[in-house]
Amino acid sequence: MLTLEAVLSLAPDDASAKAARGLTVPAKWPLLGANEAAAWGECQGSGSKPYQTQVDLSGPAFRCSCPSRKFPCKHGLALLMMRAQDATLFAAGESPAWVSEWLASRGEKAQKKEERQLEKAAAPVDPQAAAKREGQRWQRIADAGQELQRWLADQMARGLGSLNSEVLKSWHTMAARMVDAQAPGLGYRVREAAVGVNNGVDWPERTLHRLGLLQLLCEALQRRDALTAPMQADLRAAVGWQHEKAEVLTAGERVPDRWTVLGSALEERDDKLTERRVWLHGHRSGRRAWLLDHAFGGRGFEQAWLVGSSVETTLAFFPGVSPLRALSAEPCSAPGPAAWPSGALGDEWMAIAQRVSACPWSGLHPLIVRDAVAVRSGDGLLAVSQGRALPLALAVAEQWKLLGSGGGRPCQLMGEWDGRVLKPLSAWEDGSPLPLWQGGAA
Amino acid sequence: MSIWTPLLPLAMVGTDRQASPVPSWPGEVGQLLAQVADANGNPATAVLRAAAVLAACDLAATQGILWTEPLPAAASDDALPSLPDGPVSHLVAWSLNDGPARLQHEVCIALARARCRLPTALLPQALELGRRSLSLRPLLSPVLGERGLWLAAQRDDWRFAAGISAEAPQEAQWNEGSFEQRRNFLRQERAADPQAARERLAGVLDELGAKERADLAAELSERLNLDDEPLLDTLRADRSREVRQAAGNLLLRLPDAAHPKRAMARMDALLKHERVLLRKRWQIDAPASAASDWKADNLDAVRPKNESLGERAWWLYQLVRQVPLGWWTQHTGMSPAELLHWAHETDWTEALLRGWRDVLFAATDMAWCEAFLDKWPSVALRDDPATVLALLPPAARERHWLRQLREGGTSIHLVVNQVLVACPAGQTLSASLSATLVDAIRRRAESRALNDDYALRGLLPDLCCALHADALQGMSQLARHPDETTSLAEVLQVTTHVVAVRQALHSLTISGTP
Repeated sequence: MLTLEAVLSLAPDDASAKAARGLTVPAKWPLLGANEAAAWGECQGSGSKPYQTQVDLSGPAFRCSCPSRKFPCKHGLALLMMRAQDATLFAAGESPAWVSEWLASRGEKAQKKEERQLEKAAAPVDPQAAAKREGQRWQRIADAGQELQRWLADQMARGLGSLNSEVLKSWHTMAARMVDAQAPGLGYRVREAAVGVNNGVDWPERTLHRLGLLQLLCEALQRRDALTAPMQADLRAAVGWQHEKAEVLTAGERVPDRWTVLGSALEERDDKLTERRVWLHGHRSGRRAWLLDHAFGGRGFEQAWLVGSSVETTLAFFPGVSPLRALSAEPCSAPGPAAWPSGALGDEWMAIAQRVSACPWSGLHPLIVRDAVAVRSGDGLLAVSQGRALPLALAVAEQWKLLGSGGGRPCQLMGEWDGRVLKPLSAWEDGSPLPLWQGGAA
Repeated sequence: MSIWTPLLPLAMVGTDRQASPVPSWPGEVGQLLAQVADANGNPATAVLRAAAVLAACDLAATQGILWTEPLPAAASDDALPSLPDGPVSHLVAWSLNDGPARLQHEVCIALARARCRLPTALLPQALELGRRSLSLRPLLSPVLGERGLWLAAQRDDWRFAAGISAEAPQEAQWNEGSFEQRRNFLRQERAADPQAARERLAGVLDELGAKERADLAAELSERLNLDDEPLLDTLRADRSREVRQAAGNLLLRLPDAAHPKRAMARMDALLKHERVLLRKRWQIDAPASAASDWKADNLDAVRPKNESLGERAWWLYQLVRQVPLGWWTQHTGMSPAELLHWAHETDWTEALLRGWRDVLFAATDMAWCEAFLDKWPSVALRDDPATVLALLPPAARERHWLRQLREGGTSIHLVVNQVLVACPAGQTLSASLSATLVDAIRRRAESRALNDDYALRGLLPDLCCALHADALQGMSQLARHPDETTSLAEVLQVTTHVVAVRQALHSLTISGTP
């Protein structure tokens, strides 16, 4: 059963968690029930009819008759919180019709989805037409790469010192042209480079860094035919041409393992889009993996990944030289305690170096800093280990929580390393399955 | 110097304006750079290729920055156990994040009594609360544990809590502790050995700030005696008004000291027993002019600009403020109630009443409190009577409220308000007053009167913190109605939570172990 912390970690924001806490009063719930598959309840709201709240415990997945756009809503959270606090409040037994119907429809939907995916994968496609379409898209991207290459050379001939807001407008135009040429990854990188100009004291170095990686992409596009298939797959991901999930599920490398959830980062993107990055470590394979999900407008994610727990499941990896991104290919087992990895820091750095040398465009790397001591430095926080200090990117309130939980002693710190700063997502002590601290909220 | 430095001049100026070749780098990276630099004669592409190699190498090789300094000291091991994870710790977390301030006080008191410390994850929030609330600080110290003290020392505005370990030897608490720890130490020493504490305080006066001098001087109130007079006279001449005031307040409790004696002599000269028509009665007059010896006795000849009293009344008020209350009853033979009545008939009502009120707060006198409360002089005094109620022992206070509730003339919210003003955080009401209050509130909830009683319902969460444990259950079972407003539902929700927290803390304290 989910702990209170685990339930709270499912809340879409602090306000929902707070509102849910206020509803964890049995008096507010004239009906409370649960069985192995689901928990349900009727919560007295401001209207005359109570809200019908139900949770499919296998997800957990939520449904509520309240009009809230938040997902899960406060009622669903409160229901699980009460169950975590006192399961005896819930009458055991058969679920009412409104619950069993929903569960059945969920089962059907999942089945249909699976069937659709299989159909899609097995659908007889005209291989010639598909190859032709793919060839055309590669051609468009290659043309865009050449245009970008000329443009990059123009910028360098003119010099970064001459950049002003007028010139930078042309950078945004260039980014838009790349998107039009079906290479959104190139567009994103050009836009990012434009935003970084005149930003921070080391902006010239960082801009050169970004332009250098773009140059590398352009050259790789020119020599695409000479690259191996996994390298081509990395290149495809780097220019923003996503691999079909159905294809990954059927053809991707499958790794069954007990996967420990090392950390989870939620980030608000534009237009109410929430991005979730979940970092996993395979106990038997020693593999690392990241799962990328998006949720729109406060809707929830289908599967909850609780930091500090582990599940038995099979992941299907996206293709690449040193694959990291994966999809959950099978239903997960019930969560068990975390099996934290215990590799040396040197091995972590080596893995990153190898991944970068295989594909320099993968932006974020999972990094576990062994025996890290959090140290205050100016207004920020550093993680110091083995004579090196990594700057930490963390909101102020979280900095104090992390500092307090470590107490100046070494702990294992996991985060996302972007080559400059580490965004910490969790910390633990050897021998303890529960995380000492966990961050990662938007 | 970074690996980028050699490339920067060329990249910034642009290859059109500076026709120099791409610089070279040492080692294997340098060799690779030399290999790729040939870019069909296009110098801009050569720079970009160099940047491409450097960017990839940079990403692959950067491992943070070199750290050669010694690591700061870690927190010591905690002797106190932490409140274990579970329902109680969740309720404690709610109290610190969303609960009323009064409940936060109780949480600290209960944890200290159960000999455990706050969970580590709550320490930043607890220190933040302490930063904002002076009254919470002394209660926080015992439950922060070593980890909390360590964390407090890391941030300037949390340093109030950064003392030394609560387990450290006593003398070290005075020499190295936080202000709260020093005050605590002085209080204990004063109770055991008044002279030693006095000498200790006198020895450090020069090193202390004004606020600290005033606060520590107030600790002399424990076992106050005439031997303290010389030190109090020194403090009476302090450059800080707050310290002078603290010393003056303590002297009011030593009627045989020279300062109050001089004040009584001055008052004696102004108070005459004169025959008016057939009966003799007391007459008072304000001083006609300021005397030269006033300044040495903390009497201000110049009236403050915003003072509502006239000049002579201001002088009189100051004189009254230095005379112990006992002198008035002994000297005139009148009871406090009679004196209050008499004051209303003089020309100097406000000066007398305000002066007496100040003395009452410095040196509490039960009879005077009762007299004030029986007939509260709201014209002359702007305070709430609850401030005087707070001076009374709990039983006497409660008699007053029970009478008000029985007579029914006062709204419940006014009584509850007084209860909350008079009852400091951490103190609870008797079972009988609690039951009476809960009963009155229950009836209002049943009759749906709470929906519109904004004043009362806003006080309910705080009241729940002050109720006797036996009455708590009643507060979580208030009648609910389908048509209750959202704001009422929220208040009742918080109320129920406060009850749950207090019940959990109660069981924690009873069991003695977390």
